[in-house]
Amino acid sequence: MAWQHPADILLEAWLDTQDRHLGHYVNGKWLKPERRNSVPCQDPITGENLAICLQAQAEDVAAAVEAARTALENWSTLPGARRAQHLTRLAKMIQKHQRLLWTLESLVTGRAVREVRDRDVPLAQQLLQYHAVQAHTQEEALAGWEPMGVIGLIVPPTFSFLEMMWRICPALAVGCTVVVLVPPASPAPLLLAQLAGELGSFPGILNMISGPTSLGPVLASQPGVQKVAFCGAVEEGRTLRRTLAGQGLELSLALGAESLLLLTEAADVDSAVEGVVDATWSDRSQGGLRLLIQESVWDETMTRLQARMGRLRVGRGLDGAVDMGARGAAARDLAQRYVHEAQSQGAQVFQAGDVPSDSPFYPPTLISDLPPASPCAQTEVPWPLVVASPFRTAKEALAVANGTPRGGSASVWSERLGQALELGYRLRMGIVWINAHGLRDPAVPTGGCKESGSSWHGGPDGLYEYLRPSGTPARQPSLSENLNYDTFGLAVPSTLPAGPETGPSSAPPYGLFVGGRFQAPGARSSRPIQDSHGNLHGYVAEGGAKDIRGAVEAAHQAAPGWVGQSPGARAALLGALAAALERRESALAARLERHGVELKVAKAEVELSVRRLRAWGARAQAQGHTLQVAELRGPVLRLREPLGVLAIVCPDEWPLLAFVSLLAPALAHGNTVVLVPSGTCPIPALEVCQDVATLLPAGLVNVVTGDRDHLTRCLALHQDVQALWYFGSVQGSQFVEWASAGNLKPVWVNRGLPRAWDQDAEGAGPELGLRAAQTKALWLPMGD
Amino acid sequence: MAAHNLGTELDLSWISKVQVNHPAVLRRAQQVQARRTVKKEWQAAWLLKAVTFIDFTTLSGDDTSSNVQRLCYKAKYPIREDLLKALNMHDKDITTAAVCVYPARVCDAVRALKAAGCNIPVASVATGFPAGQTHLKTRLEEIRLAVEDGATEIDVVINRSLVLTGQWEGSDFIKTSTGKETVNATFPVAIVMLRAIRDFFWKTGNKIGFKPAGGIRSAKDALAWLSLIKEELGDEWLKPELFRIGASTLLSDIERQIYHHVTGRYAAYHDLPMS
Repeated sequence: MAWQHPADILLEAWLDTQDRHLGHYVNGKWLKPERRNSVPCQDPITGENLAICLQAQAEDVAAAVEAARTALENWSTLPGARRAQHLTRLAKMIQKHQRLLWTLESLVTGRAVREVRDRDVPLAQQLLQYHAVQAHTQEEALAGWEPMGVIGLIVPPTFSFLEMMWRICPALAVGCTVVVLVPPASPAPLLLAQLAGELGSFPGILNMISGPTSLGPVLASQPGVQKVAFCGAVEEGRTLRRTLAGQGLELSLALGAESLLLLTEAADVDSAVEGVVDATWSDRSQGGLRLLIQESVWDETMTRLQARMGRLRVGRGLDGAVDMGARGAAARDLAQRYVHEAQSQGAQVFQAGDVPSDSPFYPPTLISDLPPASPCAQTEVPWPLVVASPFRTAKEALAVANGTPRGGSASVWSERLGQALELGYRLRMGIVWINAHGLRDPAVPTGGCKESGSSWHGGPDGLYEYLRPSGTPARQPSLSENLNYDTFGLAVPSTLPAGPETGPSSAPPYGLFVGGRFQAPGARSSRPIQDSHGNLHGYVAEGGAKDIRGAVEAAHQAAPGWVGQSPGARAALLGALAAALERRESALAARLERHGVELKVAKAEVELSVRRLRAWGARAQAQGHTLQVAELRGPVLRLREPLGVLAIVCPDEWPLLAFVSLLAPALAHGNTVVLVPSGTCPIPALEVCQDVATLLPAGLVNVVTGDRDHLTRCLALHQDVQALWYFGSVQGSQFVEWASAGNLKPVWVNRGLPRAWDQDAEGAGPELGLRAAQTKALWLPMGD
Repeated sequence: MAAHNLGTELDLSWISKVQVNHPAVLRRAQQVQARRTVKKEWQAAWLLKAVTFIDFTTLSGDDTSSNVQRLCYKAKYPIREDLLKALNMHDKDITTAAVCVYPARVCDAVRALKAAGCNIPVASVATGFPAGQTHLKTRLEEIRLAVEDGATEIDVVINRSLVLTGQWEGSDFIKTSTGKETVNATFPVAIVMLRAIRDFFWKTGNKIGFKPAGGIRSAKDALAWLSLIKEELGDEWLKPELFRIGASTLLSDIERQIYHHVTGRYAAYHDLPMS
């Protein structure tokens, strides 16, 4: 037998305790049901069988969810300090058995042990400690929020156990319990669950089920699961989004793994080259890298990069002196396919490094001269590839970097402070590092935007992923029905003249409010609006697909100007709108009265609406903050940025208050909006638009009336709408969730449930502020 | 010693274009120490290699011919013969790269090395070491005398007041520090210097040597320095003509590590001959 490293011996000993037969870890015990399929867990280099892993079936998933549900009752009601204590104990447990953990992870995934040992394992402990502190202060700092419940977590094969820790820690800290669907043949998560289980108390809070990703929908459909968190490939995420539409649970997606590095002529090129190594060739990240290099330093950078690549070592992950390990056949084939395709499209390929000739390894690869319009240039760059392309000016670099559907992470390399900050702020990415790449810390939120999915882990944002405002109704028993997505809201029922306009109030404003003025609808037809007595109150325009297109365009045009306004200026304009509403009080109250609202109540509704505008204007001024990170000199900025064009379908009830309550936070956070007002009573919203027309920049607010299902369909399928809030029917909610898979826009739906808009908690709570902006973490390391 | 640096026209634009990002260099310095952890026979091989880069140094005020003689003998026989035999390296003529002494001790060193029957070069610090704050005339005279006495390598302390005012000088080798400062050879500084050496080579074809000095005491440190050179400059620089480690106590730690590798036991201080 070949010489064995002592670490291997430790590992073998652990596998032997399980008779080389790994099952699932549920409720603090190993679960090894009979008659299940199994897959071998292999050393990716030698192909040697290490153990046999059972594959779960639906009933095993059900058992795990049941255990998590039982554990939830106790765990979620514990004082935060008790949970903190438990997380700290788990961190210590990991510390005691770290050698086994890092050996197992490195051996099975093939990643360099140095990275697992020196970074992943310490970071896992820091994550537990950071979240223990958060649990400790939860009652105080997160008052008004409660844990969601049982969380289902789906991790695909290429992700490390650390990615799982980023999500487990905040969920457990705030009082949720977790069921993880780990990919077949990945024992490190199972070991982690065993370590947690061996703490003795609270056995069911962390359960691991081993099985293919296709079990994801089974996990999601278990009653009691309130949220599913998925990380993996973009297309898998899209499919899952569609499958889970209408099931009444929250879904958070973290998709893709490509990163971006932007190297300007003012950069320390040698350090930037190290940044490229950190990003792709050091087993730190899962994906490839898009490298943008300023033309003037292109040659110099390529020379240095190629020289550096020659010194990289690839080999068995457990060898302490390798930069890069092997990631198994699937990852290698993916890389190979991409390289072949790129070559056939005319790209230059450079490969170097000390790479063993046997098959599982793939060398560090640099691709250049890929034509920008070629199919390869559009697809995600896989590990361990770097695709380099030149740019001329910083402005062009931004256009190229932002011109992809991906919005994960990026780094900017420039020694010019102004340029670095400009690029850092204007990149549409979840994380931006200045003159560094791949730094992580538990206190800094990590996530993305656009098709990278808008879920967050770490920092305050990571906690909110597993919280909901106290009193939110739990998930309803699955209401998902066979909604026909092809026809929902497709046709607009035609409407005819409906008798004489009668009643006390003057003629209501008519038209679609788009681009700052009232316009006739494209369809040139109208729909009658009846008052509470069934009399005709007036006609509103019948908006359609083309009107939505125009409204979204107008909103996009207004966006740069609005984003550029300071929060103070935005607050001033919201204040002016509030004052205008106050002046219009009697007219608005009269409109509401015609729809059956008592005059006193109607006046209160107007008054409350005025208050909402002022409150959000004030709140918007306290945005974002600076985080201090251990071991980093310099701050990390947690920025709260606008989503972009936000579409809002307002509820039928509270026609004025709900409209304003949704509009105000959206505007205050810098978004431009397209709104569909109440279907039964859209006229108060149009009244408000008369003031909007004179006070706010054109295109900032657009209001489109018409058939709600039809307009919802148009907005939900629109690829250039960045987020959608929907308050309407169960079917509409389901459709919105399904359709959002297109550009993976974040959506907020009410699933047919009413909301108390007149209560501050639901009508003006922090939830609205959270949903109205997206986070970006901007790392600013400093040094002379 | 490699071919001399024939010098080039001074082009200050090279220097003004250099960008160094301090935090990034610090991160690199941290990484480079952890990415090439060699063990077992590979470690022993690297340690023996490290011995051949050592400028075996004594720079004390109380140096006399007797301790210089001892130093020279140790330079010739840096690792106990039986340990080298066990590694089958006894006939590879492993010595330190040079011995390094004050100018007044060059004569002693040359004599001692001759007596030991070897041609290890003698290096001398000169020019008002370690401050360099003496007159140019006496500094030049110091070099001349040291060479006359038989020194073949001179570690010159440049006049740092000229550097700080942007008046540069050329050399065949650059050294991190005198070893007599409060902060001596550190990795971040070395990274910047090595990158400058590489850039100069790419621009002119001249290979400049590199010598870290001061504070390198453990075998582990020495290995980190070797891996740094290998990573930043490549194998071409891993030879005594282009890389030296200025050290006085490092050798005994390396010998102890080799002892442990060969015997499996940790050595007592008296197990190994002193220098």
